[in-house]
Amino acid sequence: MNITQFIRTLLIPALCVSFAVSSAHARTWTSTEGKTMQALFLGIEGNNYKFKLANGNEIVVPKDRFIKADQEAAERLNEIGDDTYTKASARKIDTLLAQNLKENGFTSFNDPLPDDLFVRRVYLDIIGRIPTREEFLRFAESARPDKREALIDELLTSPGYASNMFNYFADMYRLHASDFNNGVRMEPYIQWWKEQLENNVHYNDIITTMMTAKGNVGQNPASGFILRDTGMEFDAFANFGQVMLGIDISCAQCHDHPFDEWTQGDFYDMAAFFGNTQRSIGYGGGSMMSGSAREMPNSPEGWYTNFMKWAEDEKGIRPRDQNSNQFRFFMRALGWNVADNEKLETYLPHDFRGSGGKPNEVADPGVILGPAAKTGGKTRREALAEWLVSPDNPRFALVIANRMWSRAFGRPLVGPVTDFSDDMIRGASQPEVLKFVTSEMKRVDYDLREFMRILYNTRAYQSISTAEEPAWADAYYFQGPILRRMRAEQAWDSMMVLANGPEIDEKKGRDGSFYKAVLNIDFNSVDNEEVWKHYEMWNSNRGDRMGAAMVTESSGSDYTPVVMNDTDLRASELAQPAPAASMLDTFGQSDRRITDDHNYDGSVPQVLALMNGPVTERLTGLSSKVIDDLEELDGPDDKVRGVFFTLLNRFPSSDELQLGVSMIEDHGDEGISDLAWALMNSPEFLFIQ
Amino acid sequence: MNHIAELAGKDPLSRRYFMEMSAKMTLGVGLSVPFLPKNFKAQDGAKAQNLIYIYLSGGMTHLDTFDAKKGGVMGDTELIDTKVDNMKFGMHMEKLAKQADKLAVINSMTSTQGAHEQGQYIMRTGYEKRATIVHPTIGPWAETLLGKRGDILPDSVVIGQGTSNAGFMDPSKSPLPIADPSGGVPNTQLIVEGERFDRRMEMAQKLGQKFTEKFKYMGPESYVEYYNQANRLLKSDELSAFDISGESNSGDYGSGRLGQGCLLARKLVENGVRVVEVISGGWDMHVDVSGSTASKLPELDTAVSALLKDLEDRGLLDSTLVAIGTEFGRTPDINMNAGRDHYPAAYSCVLAGGGIKGGTVHGETDGSGKKVKSDPMKPEDFLATIGHGMGLNLEETVYSPTQRPFTFADKGVPATKLFG
Repeated sequence: MNITQFIRTLLIPALCVSFAVSSAHARTWTSTEGKTMQALFLGIEGNNYKFKLANGNEIVVPKDRFIKADQEAAERLNEIGDDTYTKASARKIDTLLAQNLKENGFTSFNDPLPDDLFVRRVYLDIIGRIPTREEFLRFAESARPDKREALIDELLTSPGYASNMFNYFADMYRLHASDFNNGVRMEPYIQWWKEQLENNVHYNDIITTMMTAKGNVGQNPASGFILRDTGMEFDAFANFGQVMLGIDISCAQCHDHPFDEWTQGDFYDMAAFFGNTQRSIGYGGGSMMSGSAREMPNSPEGWYTNFMKWAEDEKGIRPRDQNSNQFRFFMRALGWNVADNEKLETYLPHDFRGSGGKPNEVADPGVILGPAAKTGGKTRREALAEWLVSPDNPRFALVIANRMWSRAFGRPLVGPVTDFSDDMIRGASQPEVLKFVTSEMKRVDYDLREFMRILYNTRAYQSISTAEEPAWADAYYFQGPILRRMRAEQAWDSMMVLANGPEIDEKKGRDGSFYKAVLNIDFNSVDNEEVWKHYEMWNSNRGDRMGAAMVTESSGSDYTPVVMNDTDLRASELAQPAPAASMLDTFGQSDRRITDDHNYDGSVPQVLALMNGPVTERLTGLSSKVIDDLEELDGPDDKVRGVFFTLLNRFPSSDELQLGVSMIEDHGDEGISDLAWALMNSPEFLFIQ
Repeated sequence: MNHIAELAGKDPLSRRYFMEMSAKMTLGVGLSVPFLPKNFKAQDGAKAQNLIYIYLSGGMTHLDTFDAKKGGVMGDTELIDTKVDNMKFGMHMEKLAKQADKLAVINSMTSTQGAHEQGQYIMRTGYEKRATIVHPTIGPWAETLLGKRGDILPDSVVIGQGTSNAGFMDPSKSPLPIADPSGGVPNTQLIVEGERFDRRMEMAQKLGQKFTEKFKYMGPESYVEYYNQANRLLKSDELSAFDISGESNSGDYGSGRLGQGCLLARKLVENGVRVVEVISGGWDMHVDVSGSTASKLPELDTAVSALLKDLEDRGLLDSTLVAIGTEFGRTPDINMNAGRDHYPAAYSCVLAGGGIKGGTVHGETDGSGKKVKSDPMKPEDFLATIGHGMGLNLEETVYSPTQRPFTFADKGVPATKLFG
């Protein structure tokens, strides 16, 4: 590596940002002969690419005329779509922000983000980990003027993207593998979420599928959403309000809302959209919301009890019998089954004391905001889902746009994201931007990848972080992102890439397939022997299943869980959530009991783990990959730079270089290890600037 | 070692600085938080300065332990006399029987939570489990209502496998989790020792300086403080409070996790930790209750009787409330697996020390241990009784970040007559 040349590339101060903004419609394409052209990519036609030139002419060029990197870029662009709108949207956001900044006494955005800080930030924000030294250098050494957009596009379509998004939604939707004593198996539902994000299923479709799901988690993993708070259905509804509408109406469960206009009756009327949702056909089920019903309306009459009777007669086993714990667990898991049952209702509580109803009255489904839900010819949940994702809903698009904004900038446009009033929307510091990103969320049809691409391409995002922490109570105008501590998962995944290399992004862990296979039973067509076979699979693999079973190998109807005790996995592939006192837990991973419960605070146990923990030794010890990979570098100067590139993804200052070099000169290899340890244990390591 | 405490006490300017720091900074699982005399409230004559809460996870059988009856419901368990006339125990509780005059046995516990998670939740927080908020356990409550006590050591510790967080309160009030009582505080063994460790710390500090100066945020600044605290902790004597390897009476407690957990709890309390929960698993005796009690009950009996005696010998029993809690009792009818199933309608808990009037039986079940006949005590009442013993103001409202009002033990009624 030529260091001088490299320094030069770092010192080009964000040239590409201005480039990206000024020629938003074009990209530079390079042919295999080294010729370049500025053109807007329109799509792939057979073996050709279609472009629009600056003069307006459209041309078609064979794929193989382009260098490999550009062919890959074309594939990505083809998948992501036309980037004309992306750039235009990003520019529009910048214009609106800048105007408002000026009106509020700021000259402009923070200074543009230098390349090194940019690359670290986008890796962490988009794929949830720091870049490796190679990835960092590849970007820094690239002379392509559009390298920032290209990197954003590359990261948005790489495997780490879904993993990183999953961590966010796992926190928001409280994805938890434990059954909390109910016996519900959530593993297939968790896996379903991963697949939605890997396939970039649009957010409105994810929500619609979850809200209207029927069946058990084996047949239809999305039913995990409805089953998540079994036994606490009103809390589930309160959570629905927080995550999908940005309002906290939980207090109206017990009395009229003290600050907002909602009455206690409103709470139950809206909750009644879930009021004829039946969750259980098994024993031990039941529901505080709507009473319990033993049989599913769409299954053969008495299926569940018939099967238990058959098992008793034919196999001599009853759930309550000696040594039949596993049968009991199996039957319980199987009994959790979502259906719509018109016989069920939501009743106002006996101690109802607010307005809008009377004790023990049947609640009539009704929404508390926006246009009325259209109920004809649909189940209640279908009606609610349709109302929710409709373009006329005043909250749904805004809530998710605001959340995604907060992911990029570290602060929402209006907040807290789970609870804000209409007044707060009107009083947002950047009301025009809030309006615009809400409309953009609808325009991209809830394609979150496309939405994030817009935000990452803004000048506002590509600014250095605001140097002084803005108080929560004060308006923040988004002159740049704020400084954020890494999420626990980002810190963990960064350590994982340092220990294992970028291949870690593609390494799979728990996938829920065992439970999915075993519980996948169609009550309408299955015979008792077949169900029994499923029970035997459940029973014979119970040790593995209850341990760390993650991946299932299947052949025919035989399912054997493969136990993976490997913990060298990204956070999304580990237990959900990670166990108490684990590294992830220590760094603030949500325990998924309540929504958005990740915390970013430091603690003494955290720093003790970084100082003395086993991970630290693996990352900075003399035999670690980090130190090993520096072998190829000659001389103390390059080695010191190498450590900085690896851990902090930036160039050392001359003082830092000198300090590092003297460590190596005085202590040899130990000095390098000490330097790596010191960088891991400086606060900079944990922060996204 | 009391660098911060000294500063906080002597120099008004520094003191204000530390007050502000501590108000603004979230001090994480606070192994070391500046001493804040301002928040330290008088305890209204309550005797219990400390709490050791032994939590038996799974549901302790009440009939085979503290609510022993005559007749068929007892299965293989025989009834034994205790030092107190009207107090009868199951035969495995022979050591505690000899110290029955120290105990207040509550035989009228009753709950509506028949599942472990929900039952344990209300017995440790005083609130029903919800999906919209997490309620704090006793440690964070005590720290909030009474003020932070320790300088280097945390205010509360959870020993064993149990959740350990501050609920809706500041994460700095999270109890320190110690999974294995013999393992000490995790990650306190240095990777490199001596001069080389100091060299690393010094270099980390130098390299971090520019960053923390560049950003005026609480985050990086708080990490600098945590590193200082961790460094002090690693070099402090207080760390040895977590080390029970040298305790001469270790054998008295029993070698199991419950016994060793109680020993560690005693040592922590002695060193100034206010609330220690010792979580013990293995009490869910659906199968073979006779065999299970024969192995588990002596462990409990040995551990708690050793703890009470040890506290007494050290003059700590009066100031330390010892509680035994569990999520529910077990069915009087023995099931076909020779086990007992969950039974929240009636169960037993125990209090001792900390101003408790010993030799007391509170409440009563019917002849088969099925129904509570007098003085029913709900989980929130049990927690309120503990809170009363510790001088917690049961009426003081604490608001969650979303401005929901909460009081300790959810308006439970304390059994004040248990205190002498």
